[in-house]
Order: sequence, then structure tokens, then C-alpha cells
Amino acid sequence: MYSKEITICNPTGLHARPASMLVSNASKYESTITLKRVGTEDEYNVKSIVMLLACGLSQGEKAVLAAEGSDEEQAVTELAAFIENLSE
Amino acid sequence: MIPSILPFLINKKHRLQNDKAGNDMIKKGKSVLSRIAVGDALVYVPFSCDKSLRTYDDTEDVEALIARYKETKQKARGELEALGEQMKQKGGDQEAFVQAHEEILLDPVMEEEILSLIRRDRMYPDSAMVQVYENYIQIFSANKNEVIQERAADLRDVLSRLLRCWHGVPEKKLSDLEKPCIVIAEELFPSDTLSLDLDHIMGIITEKGGLTSHTAIIARSLDIPAILGCEGLTDLVRDGETVILDGVKEEVVLRPSEEEIRHYEKERDRIEQALEINRKYLEKEAVTKDGQKIEIRVNLASPEIRGKERIRFIDGVGLFRSEFLYLSQDQLPSEEMQYQAYKTVAQAFQEKAVVLRTLDIGGDKQVSYMELPTEENPFLGNRGIRLCLTHEDIFRTQIRAALRASAWGNLKLMFPMITSLNEFRRARDIVYEVGKELDQKHVEWNKDIQIGIMIETPAAALIADRMIDEIDFASVGTNDLTQYLCAADRMNSDVKEYYQDYHPAVFRILGMLAEVFQKAGKTLSICGELAGEYKAAPVLIGLGVKALSLSITNVPELKRRIRSITMADAKALADEVLRMKTAQEIEQCLERFEEHIQMESTNESE
Repeated sequence: MYSKEITICNPTGLHARPASMLVSNASKYESTITLKRVGTEDEYNVKSIVMLLACGLSQGEKAVLAAEGSDEEQAVTELAAFIENLSE
Repeated sequence: MIPSILPFLINKKHRLQNDKAGNDMIKKGKSVLSRIAVGDALVYVPFSCDKSLRTYDDTEDVEALIARYKETKQKARGELEALGEQMKQKGGDQEAFVQAHEEILLDPVMEEEILSLIRRDRMYPDSAMVQVYENYIQIFSANKNEVIQERAADLRDVLSRLLRCWHGVPEKKLSDLEKPCIVIAEELFPSDTLSLDLDHIMGIITEKGGLTSHTAIIARSLDIPAILGCEGLTDLVRDGETVILDGVKEEVVLRPSEEEIRHYEKERDRIEQALEINRKYLEKEAVTKDGQKIEIRVNLASPEIRGKERIRFIDGVGLFRSEFLYLSQDQLPSEEMQYQAYKTVAQAFQEKAVVLRTLDIGGDKQVSYMELPTEENPFLGNRGIRLCLTHEDIFRTQIRAALRASAWGNLKLMFPMITSLNEFRRARDIVYEVGKELDQKHVEWNKDIQIGIMIETPAAALIADRMIDEIDFASVGTNDLTQYLCAADRMNSDVKEYYQDYHPAVFRILGMLAEVFQKAGKTLSICGELAGEYKAAPVLIGLGVKALSLSITNVPELKRRIRSITMADAKALADEVLRMKTAQEIEQCLERFEEHIQMESTNESE
């Protein structure tokens, strides 16, 4: 398992379009990928749009992005960069 | 005009507010466009079916049920794909809705949950879908974030499609209607609104949904009058009944009288005609009758530009406020976030000028996380460029972001709250220092970037002729300038009478400024509220101002005014105004002039 703490910087948060973009990016990896709000236990599947929306991370929130599988390190590094560079 | 409305008003007062069954005849809602529609109702009832949860017994073949579930999903997907294809051919951004629905349909977590309910809990597939979808619909609806709440509508839409496919019922569409109508529905699903019969739909009224809902977005983009959130309406209206959709008063009038219908039809035609004028004048050039071109720019408070197609009819951004980045969150915006925002606007306007005003907080605009001390006189305190120079790190971050963005368009920098050359020079030197740092890192920026000032203090206005050699341009913020000239706080209602937009001192100073800038061949623009006031615009033009910056909604009307005056008229008016002694005299003078030009412009359009 590989993980990294990230901060949501974009104004929309992980709602609407940014969430969709994240789902389609995450689906390219073989690993299981999850997001967990810092300080809570619930894990959300990043390949699922409904889970991401249910999680509803907003601007300024911190979360742990984790992956488990053959491409776990690549998945976390690339997706973390993707999330932190969102501008919408 | 007034006498013809009177009988209607009286009539309405006496009119029964309720019908025989005791129902309200006027329903309030939220309107998308300030337009009116009068027409026959089409009550649109989407597919519905029994949603009770049922389990199966041993006589059922589980694998057969699952096969039928997969077929259902496949069919729903096929419909969405066909719809997507249709949207692609039409163009526009509606394709995104279809993609969002495919994404939900293919969601791996919901799929897993549905299959588990079918296999483990022996639930019929349609019940399993209801159970899983309803669960997330509830979670989304309870979310505090409005964007997520609205996504519940997407889930309902996909669920409804799935259930209809499960029952083998073909799709009912609003794409082929027999005659003109006003569509009334509990809620329009995004897929209903995707292929609307635009030749026949005069308006949309829904019971659910807010101004950020899909229906609202679609109605706005297709220019269809709509009222949303009219509770209980589908039960009150029958197919074919005449209804009135009043987007101005944000209400729906049921079973109107003949007289009301006539009144609303007249009102509708008046509004449509005014809109037509607006459409016509937005595209026209802002040129006086005798050929003087006036630059029309817009004020922006965020990088979102509604109606991008309108950009080609305006001459740039006269005031791009940067405060939105600092006020919309509880921490300082990063350089990257600022860069993206500035770049978006610079790119959208291409070679047209975009004047970015550096951070202007303090005074009436406070940022809680900066923990600025409370001041006795905030408007005379540490605000605008002064604050930036005491928090240089924040200023440098903004300048770095702006300079990087300057490589993408015609971005200009403007410092607010300048009183002397001292702080202008300090701020300008910082810009070039930051520029040098970027050079060292081989980051591209526009080295010819223009740097100007906001003139809003009397001190800056009075020494404009001394500053003109060092500044590239200036923009007058008339609100603050008036407040400082009149020494009257515009937030304090006790001194309202002393804060005078038309104070002779304001026009005298503007006249002085226009002369200084004209002589130097540099741009002076006006970006305060005065620029958007149709009445005052001719004076500003007469004084020699060649650029006005205002809200985009006021642009067509302003262009119309400019096109109906001559420079000679405007100059004579300005001379007259400069001779006047009080704000009241000036206001009366502008009103007289106003009546005069309105007559001319109606003649022209006839």
C-alpha cells in the first residue's frame, strides 16, 4: 500500500466536473484507490463518482490518497498531482 | 401609459385570489429569465412505476434475473450513447450531461451493491436498483453543498431510465410536440431537457429545482423563460389550460381572465422588443453620430465570463478585480491558483486589454484570515496599495502570478489607492524585481506590460499632470473619488445627502483629468458606477473621456445612447455641467438632455 496526504486547492472542491475528471483518470490504474478525509475512518473508492460525491471534499480540506496494487506508487503520485493542480 | 394599466391593477385587486376549490391562483417560484410567456399548458408526467422493494423465492432463476439486469443496463447505455451522439451533432456543452449519466450508470460501487442485493438478499433487480440509488439520492440531497444536492437529480434520472428499460417501456420525449405550449412538470430530468422541441416550447415551469439546477442551466442556455420551484403545480393545472409564466415577478398565473391574458401579452411583446433592441445594440460599435469611437470595457469580479460570445462586442476589461480569490476562501490564494485565474481571462480576451487591479482590501473589504487590526477610519487607513506594501510577500505572489499570466494576452497592471508617486514607484519597482526573478528562471512574461493607477483620491487627481510621464494609463474609481471629495462615508446613511454622485467637484476633476490624459495621448478610463449610468455618460464623453468600463448587462443600452449623440452635443452638455453650482442643477440638466436624446433614438429606429 502507498499513500500521500493531499490538500484540495481548487474552488469547486471534488464536486461537479473535477470529480468526474478524477474518476476517469483513476480508472486507468489497476490498483484499488481510495480517499479518506484526514481525521476520519471512512474510505471512499476514487473510481466511483457516487462515492466521491458522497465524500464531498471541499476546498481547503485535507485527505489521504491511498492505492494498493501493481501500480500503486504511480497512481498515488500522479493522481495527487492531478488533484492539487485542479484550478476549476 | 399609466391610465391603461390602472384598470388592470384595480381589477386584480378585486379579483378572487383563490378558485372555487380554494387553491391559490398565483404561484410563486424562482425565475431564470425576466421574460413572460402566455400559452397552453402541457403537463409532462415522466415514467413512473411501483417502487416497493420485493424479494424473490426459490422458483426464480437468479442467473436469469441477473442476465435481465445486465440487458437493462446495456439498453440504458445504448439510449445514452444515442443521445450523446445526437448532442455532439448539435454542438454545445450538453454532451457533458450525457457523460455524467454514463458515469453513474457504470459506477463500480453501485454495481457491486446492486449485485450483492440481488444475490445475497434475494432482491429483484429493479428493487435492488431502487434501494441502492435511493440511498445515494438521500445522501446527496442531505449534503450541504448545493452542487452535490443537484447531482441527486442525475441519479433520479438514471434510475428512472433504468426502471423504464427494465419494464420495457419506450422513451417519451419533449422533442416532438404538436403545438406551442408551456411545459409543466414536477421536475425535468437532464435527459428530458436535452432534446427540447425549441419551435414549440414557450416556457418551462417545474415544481422542484433551484437556480443552479439542470433545468435552470438549460433554460438559460437555450433562452427559454422558466420558473422553478412552484410547489404543487402539476396537480392544479390540466393539459391545455392557459397559463401565464411571469419571469419578471417570478410567478405563475393560473386560469387568467381575458383581460389578464391581453395585459400579459402586451407586456410580453414590450419585453421582447426591448430585448431585441439590446441584442441589436450589443453588436453595434460605440461610435457617436459624428464618428467618435468610445471604448467600451467591462468590469469583472471573477474569471467566470457569462456569454463568452459577447466578448467580441466589447473592447476589453477595464477593471478585473482580484479580491474574489482572497475573499472566497479562508486562506491566501496560491500563486498557481491566481495564475490560472488571470490567465483564463487574459486568454479569453486575446489582444484586447485586461486591466488587473492588484489586491484592494481594507476599507469596507475585510479578509478575516489576515487578521488585520481594526482601524478607527478604515477608508483613510491601510488599504489598497498601502496594505500591499506593508505585506510585500502577498503582493509579490500576486505580481508573480500576474506577470506569468501576461504571456497569454494583453494584461495590464493597475494599483489602487495611489496618492503620490512614492508608492507608485515602490510598487512598480517590485513589479520589475519580480520580473527579473522570472527572467532568471526563464519564465516567460510580457516585458512591455503596461502599469497604471486607479485614481480615487483627490491627491492623485490633483497631481495627475505631474505623474503622467511615469504611468501608462489610469482609471477613475468614481465611487471612492466621490466619497473622498465629499468627505462622506458612502456606507453611512446619516450622511447620504452629502455623498453626491453629481457633485460639481466630481465633474470638474474628471474634466481636468481628461485634459491631462488627452494631451499626453494616454488612456483615461472611468470604471466607477458613474460609467454605467446612462444619464452621466454623455457628460463624461463631452469632457473628453474615451473609455468607459461597466457591467456587461449595461453595455447595449450605453452603446445605444452613444450612437444617438454627437460630440458637439456632448461637449455643449459638459460645458453646461461645468458651469453649474449644485448636484441638483446638474441632475436636472442631465434629465433634460436625456429626454432629448431618447426622442432622437426612437426616431432613428423607426
